[in-house]
Amino acid sequence: MSRLGNRADWADDEEFDDPSALPAQEVITNKDGTKTVISYRFNDDNKKVKVTRRIKTTTVREHVNPQVAERRSWPKFGTPPGPTFDTTSVGENMVFRPSINWKAQAKEAEKDGGEKGSMKDQLKDKKVKCRICSGEHFTARCPFKDTMAPVEEASGGAGVDADDKEAGGLGAGKSSYVPPHMRNGGAAGGEKMGGRFEKDDLATLRVTNVSELAEEQELRDLFERFGRVTRVFLARDRETQRAKGFAFISYADRGDAAGACEKLDGFGYRHLILHVEFAKRST
Amino acid sequence: MRPILLSGHERSLNQIRYNKDGDLLFSVSKDKNVCAWWTANGERLGTYAGHQGAIWTVDVSPNTVILATGSADNTVRLWNIKTGDCIKVWEFPTAVKRVAFSPDGSKLLAVTEKRMGFLGSIAVLDIAYGDGEGNNLDVQAEEPSLRITCAESKATVAGWSYMAKYIIAAHEDGSVSQYDPKTGDQLENIQAHEFDHQINDIQFSADRTHFITASKDKTAKLISARNLAILKTYPADTPLNSASITNKKDYVILGGGQAAMDVTTTSARQGKFEARFYHKVFEDEIGRVRGHFGPLNTIDVHPAGTSYASGGEDGYVRIHHFDKPYFDFMYEVEREQLRK
Repeated sequence: MSRLGNRADWADDEEFDDPSALPAQEVITNKDGTKTVISYRFNDDNKKVKVTRRIKTTTVREHVNPQVAERRSWPKFGTPPGPTFDTTSVGENMVFRPSINWKAQAKEAEKDGGEKGSMKDQLKDKKVKCRICSGEHFTARCPFKDTMAPVEEASGGAGVDADDKEAGGLGAGKSSYVPPHMRNGGAAGGEKMGGRFEKDDLATLRVTNVSELAEEQELRDLFERFGRVTRVFLARDRETQRAKGFAFISYADRGDAAGACEKLDGFGYRHLILHVEFAKRST
Repeated sequence: MRPILLSGHERSLNQIRYNKDGDLLFSVSKDKNVCAWWTANGERLGTYAGHQGAIWTVDVSPNTVILATGSADNTVRLWNIKTGDCIKVWEFPTAVKRVAFSPDGSKLLAVTEKRMGFLGSIAVLDIAYGDGEGNNLDVQAEEPSLRITCAESKATVAGWSYMAKYIIAAHEDGSVSQYDPKTGDQLENIQAHEFDHQINDIQFSADRTHFITASKDKTAKLISARNLAILKTYPADTPLNSASITNKKDYVILGGGQAAMDVTTTSARQGKFEARFYHKVFEDEIGRVRGHFGPLNTIDVHPAGTSYASGGEDGYVRIHHFDKPYFDFMYEVEREQLRK
């Protein structure tokens, strides 16, 4: 086909300035035997990209048996002939290091891996926790800094009071032994039969008219403003996992519970008015 | 070490064999194809189609001209390796569980199964190589030159000792016996493994003076071909399907895993689907290579000792080219020996 046949019009000569045209590839032979190849292409954003590659060619000479060399030229046969990617692939790299006590080494490596994992897990859940309201901020930044004392101190103080009274009553005031059920101010409780579900009801609030969309963490955040919350139980439907409309909040200290009960009864939460009262012990 | 995965088979592998130069690898499986691979890059040279049943065994002649396969369709077939043509079919009354070329390639033994009233036997076939140019390969003897019948316990695997002086056969009851390949007489028989624990594989060292057996009784044994003396024992914690002796380095590689029928009830980690490396002389386990997700059915080592391949119940063949640490590893005594 003639040049004229290709070009409809002489005006098409301007295609040299056409931005869509790419300059030709350049190959430069360097002094050290390498080659520099400069080529141009369009990237994904349709921008012109200059690609410079330095290529060093090395010839690897391998001496093989003439029979082996002859076999390399054999044509392929069978089904399917020729190279196929579905029959041959390269597996992941593995380290194989023979050693006399490989068993001990393997165990050690596994342990190291395990430890790393557990440390990671530990750090994953690490959060800044306020000592006053247990919120996710530093104690110094706590909004209740000026109005409330740190939780541990307050409850600890209460515990000492209780100990003084009751342990003294037992006539064992000088002993450092504190019966399990009186530790931590008696509220946290020692080990009891029934486990963690049987809690001291003295400092437990029963909250009703809770929104269906409520979350335990939200409730905890709400109630933690009044003292250390030891347990939040939000009743959920077994199937839908939605809140059933009532919850139990246990405080470490009954005084905090009383305060919360007073303040939050009638509190508007998620468009519903909370009804808060002390839980009655179920018999 | 980056293994090359060959997935040319649809069912579990039964045997793999390197040729004498180590540039080709042949694999057979329960599907009806034989595959030939270049070991350097894992490319497939071709497939040999024709068998009507699961192929149990494969062997390649020392000059890499003829390939022999034995199958559950009761035949032994010879193939022209270069073209893929079937050049000879021998019919047997029962399935063929093992074929092996003699060291010079002039004879082929075939171990037949005990079934349907037929006793297990070892047949010896004479192999001709035509005019040496690859022509007239299909001119072969019609009848076996020798038949050895195993009356007591059927032979499961067999091979040729140095100079084809003996035929060594391993049996279903855990014994190993030595036969004279000229007369077919049994010369010796020892209970190498625990009684009634089948020997699944037998592979010879490069000079064929000793061989290794892999048994269901969770051990592999190194046995002298001359007098069947047990030289070494390699204990494992799982039934063994295959064992191989490496050249260049004095290691042995064992492969196994619990029986295929129990695989689904255990996890891959407990399944022990690893190739185990033992030092051939010191009998210590020196390492494992994992990768398969089923028991290892067959292992073979490159004749130059630079790579090994394993075929598993999972249908994969993995070719591993060893890297530096493998060749560098030495016991302290070996190092001292080297210094002197």
